[in-house]
Formats: sequence, C-alpha cells, structure tokens
Amino acid sequence: MLFRQFQVEISESNQLSWWRTAGRKNKIYVIYGLAVVLAVLVSYGLGALHWLPHDPDDMNFDSLMAGPFTGGYLLGTDFMGRDLLTRLILGTQAYFLPGLMAIAIALVLGAVLGVSAGYRGGRVDTVVVYCNNLIDSFPRLILVLLVIAAFKPDIYYIMAVVGVTAAPLVASLVKGKVLFLRQKNFIESAIALGIPARVIIIKHILWYNCRALLLIQATLGMAEAILIETSLSYLGFGVQEPIPSWGNMVQAGANYLLQGNFWPSTAPALAILFTVLGFHLLGDGLNDILERQQ
Amino acid sequence: MRLIKITILFLIPVCMGLITSAHATSSNDGRPVGGMLNYGEYGRPATIDPITSNDMIALRISELLFNGLVGINAKQEIVPELAQKWDVSPDGSVYTFYLRPDVKWHPRPGEEAKPFTANDVVFTYNIMMHPKTVTSLKVRYEFIQEAKKIDEHTVQFILKRPILNALAKFTFKIIPEFGPQNSLYLRRDDPFVRNPVGTGPYRLVETTANGEVVMEANQSYFMGRPHIDKFVAKPFADQNIMNQALMFNSIDMTVLVNPRDIPELQGDKRYVLQPYNALSYAFFGYNTRNPLLVDKRVRKAFTLAINREEMLDSFFNSRGTVISGPFAPGSWAYNLDVRPDPYDTDRARALLQEAGFSQGDDGIMVKDGKRLSLSLKVPIAKESEATKRVVLAFKNYLKKVGAEVNVEFMEWQAWKEAVFQNHEFDIMFASWVFDDSADISSLFHSAEIGPWKNNFGAYSNPEIDGLIAEAKLSLDHEKKRTIYRKLHAMLSEESPYTFLWTLTNYAGYNKKIRHVNIHPYKFFTFADSWYIPEGKQ
Repeated sequence: MLFRQFQVEISESNQLSWWRTAGRKNKIYVIYGLAVVLAVLVSYGLGALHWLPHDPDDMNFDSLMAGPFTGGYLLGTDFMGRDLLTRLILGTQAYFLPGLMAIAIALVLGAVLGVSAGYRGGRVDTVVVYCNNLIDSFPRLILVLLVIAAFKPDIYYIMAVVGVTAAPLVASLVKGKVLFLRQKNFIESAIALGIPARVIIIKHILWYNCRALLLIQATLGMAEAILIETSLSYLGFGVQEPIPSWGNMVQAGANYLLQGNFWPSTAPALAILFTVLGFHLLGDGLNDILERQQ
Repeated sequence: MRLIKITILFLIPVCMGLITSAHATSSNDGRPVGGMLNYGEYGRPATIDPITSNDMIALRISELLFNGLVGINAKQEIVPELAQKWDVSPDGSVYTFYLRPDVKWHPRPGEEAKPFTANDVVFTYNIMMHPKTVTSLKVRYEFIQEAKKIDEHTVQFILKRPILNALAKFTFKIIPEFGPQNSLYLRRDDPFVRNPVGTGPYRLVETTANGEVVMEANQSYFMGRPHIDKFVAKPFADQNIMNQALMFNSIDMTVLVNPRDIPELQGDKRYVLQPYNALSYAFFGYNTRNPLLVDKRVRKAFTLAINREEMLDSFFNSRGTVISGPFAPGSWAYNLDVRPDPYDTDRARALLQEAGFSQGDDGIMVKDGKRLSLSLKVPIAKESEATKRVVLAFKNYLKKVGAEVNVEFMEWQAWKEAVFQNHEFDIMFASWVFDDSADISSLFHSAEIGPWKNNFGAYSNPEIDGLIAEAKLSLDHEKKRTIYRKLHAMLSEESPYTFLWTLTNYAGYNKKIRHVNIHPYKFFTFADSWYIPEGKQ
C-alpha cells in the first residue's frame, strides 16, 4: 500500500538506532560536545541564579592577578583582583541568549528560503540564490561593524546580523535536501494523497528529514556566535566592562602577557578554545552519524 | 610619597605653559655631535604647529621646532630667547622686546632661509587671538591689549592691565608670517599646521606616510647647533609594542613608560628610567546640573567613600601622591595644610543620610523617590586599562555606600562631545595638565560654564568666583598664594571634583643617550644639549 510505504520511509530516519551503528571517533566527538553543551548550560544557570563562588565585581587589591589555587580563588584572579572562575562562569551570559537568537534567526530564515527555493523552484529559486550571493559576498565582520556604527554596540544587534548572514548557508543546505527529497516516492505519494503543501513541507520535509541538518547547523552556529561575540568584545565593541565576557577578559589579560602574567588571559582563551571546539566536534560528529548514514 | 607613572589621559592642556628652552650653549662645548634618536609616542598628533595643536605629542614636537620670545631655564629664571633683551614700563603695562637680529626661519626646500623679524611676532599674536583661529591658547593672552611693531627688530606689547609675572607668558611659540596660507586666522585645514616652519633647534623634514615625524638638526640654530643629528617621533598604537620596540632597540626612548612596564625596565642595565614630575592630576568631575549632585555633601561623601591610597598602591605601585585640592602638589599654589580626606565609609553614609538619602530595598540610596544612580562616562581611547582599573574600583567603592554607578566607555571624540558640549553625564573621569601659573579660573569660575568650556560640571559658587577674580587681579605673589591656598581649602570642602592623585612620569631611554634633562611636560626643552657618544651613534 502506498500509505504504508510512506510510513516506512519516514520511520527510517526516525529511529534512534543510529547511536549503535556510529563509529567510535564520532561517539567521542559527540560525547565531548554534549559535555561542553552541558557545561555551558550549567554555567548559564549558575550565572542566572547568582550561585557563584565569589562576587564577580568584588576586587581584592591584595591579590591582583593571583595564580590558580591561591587565596581561595580556584582559577586565580584578574587584573582587578576579581575571581576568574566566577567571571568565566558569568561570561557564558554574554553569548548564550544572543547566540540562541542568532541561531533561531539563521535556522528560521534559512529554512524558509531553502524550502521555497527547493520546493517551488523557478523564480523564487532565482531570487533566493541572488539574495544568498548578495549576503554571502559581504564580509561579515564589516557588516557587524557597520551595524555597531549605525546603532550601538549592543550584542543583540550584532547577533541579529550574525543570524541573518548565516541564513544563506542554511538555506543552500536545506535547498539541496529538498531537491533530493522531491524525487522521493513519499513526497509524490503525499501530494497524490492530497496532503496540503504546508503539511508536507513542515512535517515531512523539515521535521522528519531536515531536523538533523538543522541541529548540526545550530551547533555550528553557536560556535560561530561565540567566536564573533568574543572577538568583538576583545576589540572593545561587544560586551563592556565590568560585565564579563571571555573576549574582554582575554583582552584585559593580554596587557600583562608580556610581563609574565599569562594566566588571566590564558584561562578565558582556553575556555573559548574548548567550548568552540566542543560545538564544532558535536556538529561534526552528528553530521557524520546522522547525515552520512542516510 | 614616591614617584608615579602617568597614565590616565591627557585632557586638553589647560594652560599651555611657561617654560621654554633654557638652551645649552652651542655645540662647541666639547660634546660629540651626530647620531639619531628615535622616540616612541602613543598615538599620532593631528597637527604639529604650536597654535592649533592641543595634545601632548604635538606640544613635545613643537618644543623642538619653535622658540618663544623668552624662555625659562631649569632654575625657573626667565632667559632671553628670540628676544635678546626687554624693557618694562614703570607701571608694568608696556613690554618692549628687542629681537635677535641673527635668527633665520628654517629654510623650505629649494628656498633661502628667511630672516625672523618683528612682523612675525605681531603676526603670531594676531593670528592666535583671531576669533576664528582654532586654539586653546586665547584665554591665556586676553590680558594683552595689542602687539605693535616699533621697527624691524623691536616689538611692543601693551597690556590691558598689569598682571603678575607677565613676562613668563611671553614664552608662546612664534610662527612665521609667511607660514600659514590664510594670514588672518589659522584652522586645522591649513597646510602649515602639518608642515610648519620654525626657528627651533630642529627642523621638520617630513611626516612620513606611516606617521613618523622626522626632524633634523638646525645647522644654523642661533643658540648653537644641537648635538644629535636627527629626532624621529614614531607613533605606536599599542603600548606593549612600544615597550618591546624599546627593548629590541628599534626605538631609543619612550617619553612615557607605562606603569606596568616599569619593573622590566628597572631591572635592565641597558636602559635608564628617569622620573619627571608633571603638574597634572587625575580626578572624577561631577555634573552639578544633576539635582542629585547639587548638594556638596553628596560629592563629599563620594570622595570619602573611595580609598585613593589603596588604588594608588595597587594600580600604580605607589608611584604618586594623593591630592586634596585643585592644584598639582608640585605647584607653589598647593596647600599642604589641607589633608586628603581619609577613606571613611561610615562618614560617607552619614553625609548621604544628612543630605536626605535613605537606603532603598536594593541597597541603593533613595531621596524623594529618586535612586542615587549615576552615569560615569569614560573615554576609552588612551591607556584604557589603567583607566579601567580606576573607574571600576570607583564603581565598587560607591556601591558600598549605596550609590550605583553605570560605567560607560566611549570613543574619545564622542566622549568629548558628551562631556564638553552636550553635558550629558553625571560623573566623568580625566586628568588636567597645568603649567606653573596654576591658573584654575577656567575650571571653576561660573563664567566658564557653556559648551566647550572647561567648567563642564557647571559648578557655580559666588565665593569661589570672587576669590578667582581677586587672585587674577592680584599683583603680589604672596597675596596670590594666600588666595590660592584659601581656594584650595574651599574647593576641597566643596568637592566639585573628587581629586585623586598626581602620578610621577617616567621616561625610558637607551643608556647611550647622555645628558638627558627633561622638562616636566614639554619634555624636549633641553634636548639641544642631549648627545650620543661617538662610538654609539
């Protein structure tokens, strides 16, 4: 029966047996990535609830730039004598929500453009491809700096730009997927059964078949958002002191790097490194496991 | 107290200063001639003429390129420079200067050197005072009625009224009549401001595309050829890199060593770390347009609430002096009897309560339903990290007595507009640099309230106004000093600023440069007598 076959095709991508068949390397990637996501979530939660080892603004003038494990500071202190660990935990506040916003914009916009280009084709496709090229051809950092100049150095404006500029990539991936799926029997069958186009698109194409792709793009998008936030804060455009961000922490510490106090900038730099790496590996591992399999 | 390192930012030099070259004698003093001195500057100047420029970098360069009518030597005595002698009328209102006949302007390429005459002096005075000229010097010379040429080498200044120590004001730098294209007024679009011609010990060769200002010795300098052949000012955008450049010998001197680099230079035998005192201080200024800050008890409470000693110790390794009033501690006007307020949070809280504040639910003081929440605007441009430390510490200290401070870091130009033009701030952080006339009238007199004027906080007190006016009219140094001491005590009590500290500046330079004598803020005043031994050139 046509309807049956349709169900089977759907369930193929719907089962969770993928974990068992995944390679060892990819499993490690995903486990590490999930650990990072968990750490970020926990840090965000701790920051939001103010469950912190120290007051983030409390300055201890007697121990400026103390090393790790000294004077009750697990990771030491920064150039103002503030606890580094506390500020690292709070630093997730700087990018977490804005990053989620950027991802949401990128995914929604990318999916809409990608589906319209892939499903309808024709003129819509041309317009979408043109828009993609337009956005793609503009250097992202310049666009971000323009927005900062035109409005104000607000992280949400910046992340909106990041989201919009990330959309073309998502759109082209979704478009490719849709073009591929359109040739499949179940879409044809669904159309034949008279299922409305929006149901086919939202349920059968996006939900059943694109969610892995979108999830992967979301993890990579978070990595990108963290990098943009930290580099702008490093340059002094993003989050401003005294609010901690990993970027402005690296910047503040960098002034003392040549004097031998490497730790206050290295600690946040390592945090950036391991977090971004985690999101990338998670995306990579999921990509290998979920996408290649199909 | 010991030395400091300056750091914060140089605001417009309030009053350009007195001291000018007390030049060493000619190069026949037996010291070797030759060599080149590259020095690092943090940033690059917009203009390098003595009239339109208002930053310290340009001030230092114009010290090498220009001369005044008179100079002041290291012993604070007035010495001849472009003028070889002078007469003062008995009532002190007419000054006649007899100019040196042998002075020539630096030749422009392919041209003969033109002689310096009385026309140039009159021209300089007139262009400086023209209303359309962009300069911060005008206020300093308003006491002069007019400048008159008597003959080619004699010039007369007629004063509106006799003032104390007027001769010291004739140290302003003279520019040539043929220099600026527009002979009426000087603005920053005139080519002269970037390519000036002077009479000084060094002559401008060029400003290179990457901002290096190259100057070479004026062979026919009227006080004798300077020893070092070439001075090059190299701009740096990063102080760490500037210090590394010094350590790796790509520059020979930094005019201002960053406090954090001092230990490194101190431990290195190849370099000399030379302190020089600047007549400057850092402060937090309050905008009394905000009703919360009108009450002097609130401002005083803020001063009591911050621990200046602790900040000075931790951030500047105690290289400075905490101050109590509006004069730099090295100045004759400073009143040592007024002690800096101690750190006393209990008294600060008591004062706030006296002023009608009570603690709100969130720990912030409230008065008539208004929270004591203030904006602090800080320019991020220069020396951001020392500035950052101070303002963040300030915020924390005030939080402890129930005042909320929202720190806003701004780009330099935007900050200047916010503070000096639009007055959109509650608290600001900056430094003033003084000359030794210790003239504070433009800072606290109520006539100086308005856009781009220095009384940015709109501080107004008839008693202070009266004292300032009295000091200005006073012809007796001792009397003036007494008035200034009174002003000091009153302003300390009134706290229109929270006065912070004076830091000791350090110059760092390679040991090969000898006989280095540094002027407190013009720096290069005595540079014509510096030299480099022959083997090290």
